[in-house]
Amino acid sequence: MKLAYYPGCVAQESGRELDLATRWVCRAVGIELVEFPTFSCCGSGFLDEANEVLNVAINARNLAIAEKAGLDLLTICSTCTGMLTLANHRLHDPAVKARVDGALRPLGIAYGGGVKVKHLLSVLTEEIGLDTLRAKVKRPLAGLPVGAFYGCHLLRPSDEMGQASGEEPHAFEDLLAALGATPVMYRGRVMCCGFPIQFVKPETASRIAGRQLLDAKEHGAHALATPCPLCHISLDAYQNHAEKAVGQPLQLPIFHLPQLVGLALGATPEELGLARHLVPVDPVLAEIPGPR
Amino acid sequence: MNRHDVVVVGAGLAGQRAALAAIDAGRDVALVSKLHPLRSHSGAAQGGINAAVGAEDSVDTHIFDTVKGSDYLGDQDAIEFFCREAGPTVVEMEHFGTIFSRSEDGSLARRPFGGAHFPRTIYAADRTGLALLQALWERIESERFTLYDEWDMLRLVVRDRRVQGIVGLDRKSGEYAEIAAPAVVMATGPAGRVYARTTNAHSCTGDGIAAAYTAGASLKDMEFVQFHPTALLESSILITEGARGEGGLLKNKDGDRFMAKYAPHVLELASRDVVSRAIVTEVREGRGFTGEFGGYVHLELMHLGREKIESRLQEICDFARNFAGIDPVVEPIPVYPAQHYMMGGIGTNIRGETNVAGLFAAGEAACVSIHGANRLGGNSLLETLVFGKQAGAFAAAYAASAPRAELHDADLDATTAPLRAWSSRADGEDPSALRTEMQATMERYAGIYRNEADLMEGIRRIRALRQRFERVRVVDRSGHYNLNLLDAVETGHMLELAEAIVVGAYARTESRGAHFRTDFPKRDDAKWMKHTLAERTPDGPRLSYAPVAYTRWDPMERVY
Amino acid sequence: MSEPTVSVPLEVYRFDPATDAKPCYQKYALDLAPHTPVLTALLRVRAEVDPTLSMRYSCRSAICGSCAMLINSKSRLACETPVGPELAAHGRIVVEPMRNQPVVRDLVVDQTPFWREYRRIEPHLKLDKDHPMPEGKPNPMSPAEVERFHETPRCIACAACYSACPAVEADPAFPGPMALAKLYRFVVDPRDQAHQDRLVRIQTEGLWLCLRCHLCTEACPKDVRPSERIRDLKELAIRAQGATERGSRHAVGFKENIRDRGTLNEMKLVRQTYGPVGMLGQLGQGVRIWRKKPEITKRPHPIQGADEVEKIYEALDDGSGSK
Repeated sequence: MKLAYYPGCVAQESGRELDLATRWVCRAVGIELVEFPTFSCCGSGFLDEANEVLNVAINARNLAIAEKAGLDLLTICSTCTGMLTLANHRLHDPAVKARVDGALRPLGIAYGGGVKVKHLLSVLTEEIGLDTLRAKVKRPLAGLPVGAFYGCHLLRPSDEMGQASGEEPHAFEDLLAALGATPVMYRGRVMCCGFPIQFVKPETASRIAGRQLLDAKEHGAHALATPCPLCHISLDAYQNHAEKAVGQPLQLPIFHLPQLVGLALGATPEELGLARHLVPVDPVLAEIPGPR
Repeated sequence: MNRHDVVVVGAGLAGQRAALAAIDAGRDVALVSKLHPLRSHSGAAQGGINAAVGAEDSVDTHIFDTVKGSDYLGDQDAIEFFCREAGPTVVEMEHFGTIFSRSEDGSLARRPFGGAHFPRTIYAADRTGLALLQALWERIESERFTLYDEWDMLRLVVRDRRVQGIVGLDRKSGEYAEIAAPAVVMATGPAGRVYARTTNAHSCTGDGIAAAYTAGASLKDMEFVQFHPTALLESSILITEGARGEGGLLKNKDGDRFMAKYAPHVLELASRDVVSRAIVTEVREGRGFTGEFGGYVHLELMHLGREKIESRLQEICDFARNFAGIDPVVEPIPVYPAQHYMMGGIGTNIRGETNVAGLFAAGEAACVSIHGANRLGGNSLLETLVFGKQAGAFAAAYAASAPRAELHDADLDATTAPLRAWSSRADGEDPSALRTEMQATMERYAGIYRNEADLMEGIRRIRALRQRFERVRVVDRSGHYNLNLLDAVETGHMLELAEAIVVGAYARTESRGAHFRTDFPKRDDAKWMKHTLAERTPDGPRLSYAPVAYTRWDPMERVY
Repeated sequence: MSEPTVSVPLEVYRFDPATDAKPCYQKYALDLAPHTPVLTALLRVRAEVDPTLSMRYSCRSAICGSCAMLINSKSRLACETPVGPELAAHGRIVVEPMRNQPVVRDLVVDQTPFWREYRRIEPHLKLDKDHPMPEGKPNPMSPAEVERFHETPRCIACAACYSACPAVEADPAFPGPMALAKLYRFVVDPRDQAHQDRLVRIQTEGLWLCLRCHLCTEACPKDVRPSERIRDLKELAIRAQGATERGSRHAVGFKENIRDRGTLNEMKLVRQTYGPVGMLGQLGQGVRIWRKKPEITKRPHPIQGADEVEKIYEALDDGSGSK
């Protein structure tokens, strides 16, 4: 399987442990990543707030790059997935398409609309398949209670994101179970992490992040796992603020999706960049016996 | 004790328009509603609002269409006023902010409707009622008045044949309270829930009509009940005539397009009463489908194709899918006629005045009469606004010079005593069971086809239910949001009105408009071109009759 | 029309604050056809089993907005939610009052905060004497102008969006999706004369607290898609007034940030949003993160083809808000 690799900005900067883990997992399951140094930022939702058509055009350019190479896109960030998928949809509006095409044509770019945007989560669960993954597990996660935290833009609007349900997904929990973890169900798993307003009103963002973390903890989670590096920032790097907001310690390690997959498939913590997290993951690693 | 100049009971289109008129006249206004105003049944109206604004159309044509549609029972002077006000009323609502559908040239879009010579039904997609209700609420909500939200009126207090105010119940707190006012406008809508099958909301229990009746107001033309031919089986949610207008077909269990027998020229596009009677006949004569929700026929859209159904008939498609689990693209929709509109109500004149000083009424709760024996589509939304304004303006004028209203503790006690009795019984009748029996009775004995024997039986059964209601029991003792208590209150109201309907229907030995007697199948102008008036007595409604106002249009045979 | 019935277990939240110490869940079981709406099931409970159950309902046809409640934790209209799929997914139907509004009794909530937010955005046409309505005639409005409302006229004020919103839950300063979608409706209404004022005002009254999580759009029974209208409001507000608030400064800052190199410069973004002085407040947290992720202080490499990004900006970025 060959896919255009769209890591997104954070995975190349403060979240580069996500990139490390992604590459390791893709090697392990046979996904060939084709890299394009031409990919730009997806706009992260903020560009969409400032100028919708510009946002679509920037992402149409990204999609056109993959289209030219005859590849679909692999994303590793819920937000990037949302923005790129949104661009595909908005281009069905003739008025938007006309303006976007008008901006791209002088650059010799024409996007035909055919590129599929696939998050690693769906590639693993729907294309690689849970049976294949289960067979590759070398270090079963020993029933570790893990709460999935999806990230809004992966799920909604559900009609545009091609999700059967924007409020009751189960793909991530199915994956966790296949890796030997115990998926923890809690309301916050499909809610917001607060990241979009981290800069607007941090105390509210922290209250929101704190709510989700506390919810997971109260339902028995020992760790969370997320397919979005922006959620990761909010829940991991800013967990200290969330603790203040909820008035109690949380100490909940946050895994990037491919880190947890990698662990189960036999990667070492170093190979997965786990030391880079702000909330230490070691206590949870201790709960998973070593590789078979 | 609360005190205002004008109390409007009911906050749908008619009530809100009345309140606005009274506010504009400078009065201290109270708007009382058992639901939040935006939840009112006005919001369910789909089709549109009539106004003769097209170049090819005229006010006179609208008047004629309405007079004829009423089967010559409508008061022609009132209808003339009504149709002349239509254009300015629609403009006013547009200025208030209603978002109407538009034609390419930016003017208000119009669609054709049954019984109209020209397309004059102005609309907002498939939700004209909602569009008007929102715009009107948005126009008034920042005005100065007192909203009694989720406040159930229990009784209209009249002393010396003059209104003194109302007594009611705040749902959330469970507290009884009085509102003293010399002028009360009843705009509480219809009482469709007296029937088992109705397109009406659950809230349509005729509370204002019953309160007015109990307080001495005459009800007018109560026997005239409009049935709509195509309501979804089981829920009776309305499937609008647009379905037939776009080519939907009605079929019986033999797969026959049975309307060919009843209306050979126009088939499915015959008027509502003709189609309703046809469907009932088919089922009665054994050619309908049968099931746990009774007999029914099929409305077929499949032949129109997915594209047409999902674009031009989207709301019908959604209704069938969401409420009946039916996909009209691939399967037929089960339908049966249901009660839809009440032409009758509290008797008023053009000014919204009743025969009780200080009591006014407007909207479906009132009977002016505009619609006579049968209402045209698109005239109901118009009526709420035209006569809401009239009633509010004249109520305000009356209040300006009326003597001070007085309510006493005795009024409160008289109202609450029976309710307390219901709540302290150790055993008695279940209000829900009484209601269900009443609905079944009306459906069976006072439905689309009426005859002497059935109506007599209907009267007997309703009276027996009224007797049993004296021993109704409320088991919910809570003071907060006590629906069990309100169920009982509403059932009591509906039993009163059910009696007025069957008694009026029994007395009228002719067929006219929506009132069809198999034993008197012809219209009898000589004997029956008159309004039925009903006054409450301890032994039941006492009927009398009033002439129909005539201006220009001689009665003709009503054929389409 | 005849589907076989199945036994449906219902668990209904019951609480009367006047008499109960705490809420409980009452269990009922009814035989129902799968297409039966939850509302019908609850009305049968009231009629046949327990008339003390308190709830709001009226039209039963998804137009009055009365019956919004939590059905298996999702904010939905009970009249439009069939029991079958819920039973298949969850094995039972748990019914609870909507969120973010205090419980009055059982499934009835106090909607005062919801209505207050609606009224606060001044939901009526604001006119001025220099632009009177045409005398005796409707205002002309083209079909294209009607299109601009999108689906906001379909809103039935059921409060499902308000119930589903995590920002409403976390912060009373957020007006909620319905009020904002309603504000959008007035901002695009050609008859309203206060577009600019409305946009300026909402920037300081909570617009930028929207998380764009789309839970409101998911919950809405009428396809209003409030989160998308809120996005439109944000862009319109920036165009009207420029980047004056934290939220608009961040959005515009982000836009400018990636223009340069096609990729995000995280440090620069922090400076753009907080300003050089505000950044000092972030110093402690910044150092803490830097210790684990030292590369955040380095400027990222520009992408290849950054000039293409620049040209796209030239074509489509009208510079709104960049001052």
